[in-house]
Amino acid sequence: MSRVITITSGKGGVGKTTATANLGAALAMQGLKVAVVDADIGLRNLDVVMGLENRIVYDLVDVVEGRCRLRQALIKDKHFPDLCLLPAAQTRDKDAVTADDMIALSNQLRAEFDYVLIDSPAGIEAGFRNAIAGADEVLIVTTPEVASVRDADRVIGLVEAFEKGHPRLIINRLKPRMVSRGEMMSIDDVLQILAIDLIGVVPDDEQIVTSTNRGEVAVLDRSSRAGRAFVEIARRLAGEDVPITVFDDAPGLLNRIFGVFGIRARGSER
Amino acid sequence: MTMLVAIKGGKEGLRLHLDEAAVWSDVLGALRSQLNQGAQFFNGARVIVDVGNRSLSEEQLAELMALMREHHLEASALASTSRESRSAARAVGVVARPVTRSALAPEAPGDALFIWRTVRSGQVVRHHGHITIVGDVNAGAEVVAGGSVVVWGRVRGTVHAGALGDRTAIICAVELRPTQLRIADLIARAPDGAASGHPEVAYIDGDQIAVELWERYRRSNRSDP
Repeated sequence: MSRVITITSGKGGVGKTTATANLGAALAMQGLKVAVVDADIGLRNLDVVMGLENRIVYDLVDVVEGRCRLRQALIKDKHFPDLCLLPAAQTRDKDAVTADDMIALSNQLRAEFDYVLIDSPAGIEAGFRNAIAGADEVLIVTTPEVASVRDADRVIGLVEAFEKGHPRLIINRLKPRMVSRGEMMSIDDVLQILAIDLIGVVPDDEQIVTSTNRGEVAVLDRSSRAGRAFVEIARRLAGEDVPITVFDDAPGLLNRIFGVFGIRARGSER
Repeated sequence: MTMLVAIKGGKEGLRLHLDEAAVWSDVLGALRSQLNQGAQFFNGARVIVDVGNRSLSEEQLAELMALMREHHLEASALASTSRESRSAARAVGVVARPVTRSALAPEAPGDALFIWRTVRSGQVVRHHGHITIVGDVNAGAEVVAGGSVVVWGRVRGTVHAGALGDRTAIICAVELRPTQLRIADLIARAPDGAASGHPEVAYIDGDQIAVELWERYRRSNRSDP
């Protein structure tokens, strides 16, 4: 049974694209067939993060408008033969596709892949609505900052209104040392506001900036803390019961491990 | 200040009280501004119009009906002790009945909205009666009630109780840390600093909104339930 999962956030720049690329790669490492779709039409990024920009011939809009077959637009990843990218068009905008197009596209991809990950544009307008139209599940990415959490809250409300079930949360760029000094929102602070299930915590990691710029996903690097966090999230996504690790940014310190049940937001809704 | 217009929830649903003594055009004016404040608040709500012992002509009544229709408010009946008003009502096709006014109408059990979820940023809950929420009201959310608002959870967003002018409305919550509180025509910003960690209640005290620990409020208002 294949799954279509949209990664979204409301606020821009919180790490949706990086999360999509890394989760896609991490799932492919498990031997699953994965397609990652860039739904940010007009501002495509996912190809750059994955280092596949120079291989694009056709894009999502070409598929939707019938200029090519889906197969022709899919780009095989450099490292994982089971990972494919469907890039966004760069010269068009959000209005080039409709929600129905995205649903049809999702169903086409569903037939060939175990996982379809859709990278949503920021915002709550048509682009976001298109990106979640075909999704079975939604992952929300937030950083532990007030503005980002506020936007995540707004988006969770919309996702629930579109009846996409209960979204799950990725807290990105956490700095455990700042949290322990009381200078950053903690995992609990964020969960208290958003009241949804947590699927993973990704530590702030300078290395991911360099790997992203090189077009190499962090999960390839076993020393990358962010990469390891994404590998864990992918395993949880696939249904494994993995306790949530918060990879500390202080070298030499033991990583703190939270019991999954200890910090999962209570299922208080409905 | 005597209120020319009051909208209250009663046993039979909403009741629109129009002052029986004041000049009719003043009453209409007061109603107009009241309705403008609660723009699209009613959404086809049906109310009983109570004009007391005022004698209304057919034209005056037609004026009133037109104003109400403009704001999507429907008259289910006209209550009046005046025979003239009642016959005017029948003439324009509205059920008329003599006023039956108990000293203080007990609250209708069905006049509250019950919500069991988190009200999130960007979401708005509006209801002409009371609102009860089991869950949090997050920052960026808005709750607007004609009556009181009770939140069994945290309030971080904006809550407006007594939005139709009822100054006796209260707002209470397990944790009251709102962006802004409004009761009737008064507005209060949240005080800076940490919450008390105890259930609190906001109400109008004189000419400002007061926030107090629920325990203390309850002790000083022993006559209430």
